[in-house]
Amino acid sequence: MHPILSDRRRLGLYLLGWLPIGLLLTAGLSERTSWPAAAAVFLPLSIVFAFISLNAGYLCRVFPIDARAGILRTAFVHVVAAAMASAIWIGIGQAWAGALDLLAPGLQAGAAFAERRLLIFVVGALLFWLASILHYLLIAFEASQQAERRAIELSLLTRDAELKALRAQIDPHFLFNSLHSISALTTVDPAAARRMCLLLAEFLRETLRLGANNRISLADEFALADRFLEIERVRLGSRLQVTRETDPQATACLVPPLLIQPLVENAVVHGVSQLVEGGTIRIAASRGGPTLTIKVENPCDPDRPRRQRAGLGLDLLKKRVVTQFGAEGTVLIEEDAGRFCVEVRIPAEVAA
Amino acid sequence: MSNTRIQTVIVDDEALARGVLHEFLAAHVDVEIVAECGNGFEAVKVVTEMRPDLLLLDIQMPKLDGFEVLELIGGDVTVIFVTAYDQYAIRAFEVHAVDYLLKPFSAERLAEALDRARARIAAKEKVPEGLVSAGRARHTPLERILIRDRADVHVIPVDKIDYLESQDDYVSVKTAGKTFLKEQTLAELEMLLDKDVFVRIHRRYILNIARLSKIELAVKDNRIAILADGTKLPISRSGYARLKELLK
Repeated sequence: MHPILSDRRRLGLYLLGWLPIGLLLTAGLSERTSWPAAAAVFLPLSIVFAFISLNAGYLCRVFPIDARAGILRTAFVHVVAAAMASAIWIGIGQAWAGALDLLAPGLQAGAAFAERRLLIFVVGALLFWLASILHYLLIAFEASQQAERRAIELSLLTRDAELKALRAQIDPHFLFNSLHSISALTTVDPAAARRMCLLLAEFLRETLRLGANNRISLADEFALADRFLEIERVRLGSRLQVTRETDPQATACLVPPLLIQPLVENAVVHGVSQLVEGGTIRIAASRGGPTLTIKVENPCDPDRPRRQRAGLGLDLLKKRVVTQFGAEGTVLIEEDAGRFCVEVRIPAEVAA
Repeated sequence: MSNTRIQTVIVDDEALARGVLHEFLAAHVDVEIVAECGNGFEAVKVVTEMRPDLLLLDIQMPKLDGFEVLELIGGDVTVIFVTAYDQYAIRAFEVHAVDYLLKPFSAERLAEALDRARARIAAKEKVPEGLVSAGRARHTPLERILIRDRADVHVIPVDKIDYLESQDDYVSVKTAGKTFLKEQTLAELEMLLDKDVFVRIHRRYILNIARLSKIELAVKDNRIAILADGTKLPISRSGYARLKELLK
């Protein structure tokens, strides 16, 4: 349905807009004939044309003005449409004037109409074009509003994903387990207990500090992951081993904060800590031209229950990479024979 | 003297967490720690061999979680769960744990839990047969089947199962050419398995639908399921109806 027809208030306003046009037409024709005759002919006719002009809206939607459509073709379509609309209007006007002659012969409406037929045809065509232009404006306005709304929605979505990511960042069980380790160490090794307290405090402070930034260096992100791993090593002992291969070109790149840390956390929580004999987490970062590649690989128990598989954190990571980098960012997850590997590729950015 | 002390086994994969329990339990002269285990497999082995009175059991552990350990060792040991995760509390009481300690906990909180354990052990309360697996049954569909072979434990993810065959009170689990015997009836297992994957094709057989290669008509109405590895299994008339329903 036409957007003007579908809303009673809008329709009222639209018809009210046609009133001055009707009055103008009446004034223009009243020189030759009487006022009442001109008014009787043109006021109803302008209302009729108001409805005819609404068809310009459909025309504008079928022939949008954009790069793909030929301007000539669109212009031709509008000339033909205006001529047809005006011709129909003239036809209706002729019939109406004839009817008026029968109802009120004294007005001489038919004669007055016939005299000015050509002029009225031209005015009708021009009015139809005006209606087309207004419709194009309306369409453009709607499109820009929609684009704005979509942009707001997208930024909200991004923000939401970011917030969720940050909130999910500090796993409460990690805290409880760490506190339990501290509780255990207080009697057997007070110095180690204190060191663990400090590590934990540093980790929490850094998580909050880095999380507030838009971009941080990969080196900072790795430093945070190191603190996390150091805390987990207190808990897991020699079961947790880590190797890292990074080149300085890669660590200088900028990344969204807390993008890689959750991967390392997954590797511990769902990988190494689920193995009796533990294992080695391999972290690698490299820069190849415009792309930064970060890889976290860990051994895992292939027979572990499905509910223990790292789903949520990885989904969040994918969402973040997509919202921040679009098609330029990819997250590749592989599991094969007890090895779990996540590879993140994003555009390499460096600090200005 | 040693007969009257509470024979206790500590199960936790973290050395420090075992250390806390050790330290706190030292204050309770009636408690004797007879073993410490670092994973679920060890726990099943030790509990089966030593038959302790009390189990202090972590939940999140490699290989077998605390609930799986309990399922494998049966119901005649008193259990206190010790974990950092609060979301298993309801399930813990379903399997009749006497208490549920959240890490980190105080010596007083552990003492409280021990009081409850003493009361249960003194009353020689046994967990009624079947209740442990009933608690387990709420968490269907089953993701893996646990089989205890004396003190050894086999963990078989359900997607690796080819088919199950009834052998009186046992079920033989066929996976990649190997056979494991589980002490459970086929009907019980059928209830626990994912209905979209496992179908009872015969009074004696449950088939993993992913293994089905084709169905052949033998004599008259009798059909035979041919598995990807060539194994042939009979299909009963009602089994065929269920199979058709699933393949629809």
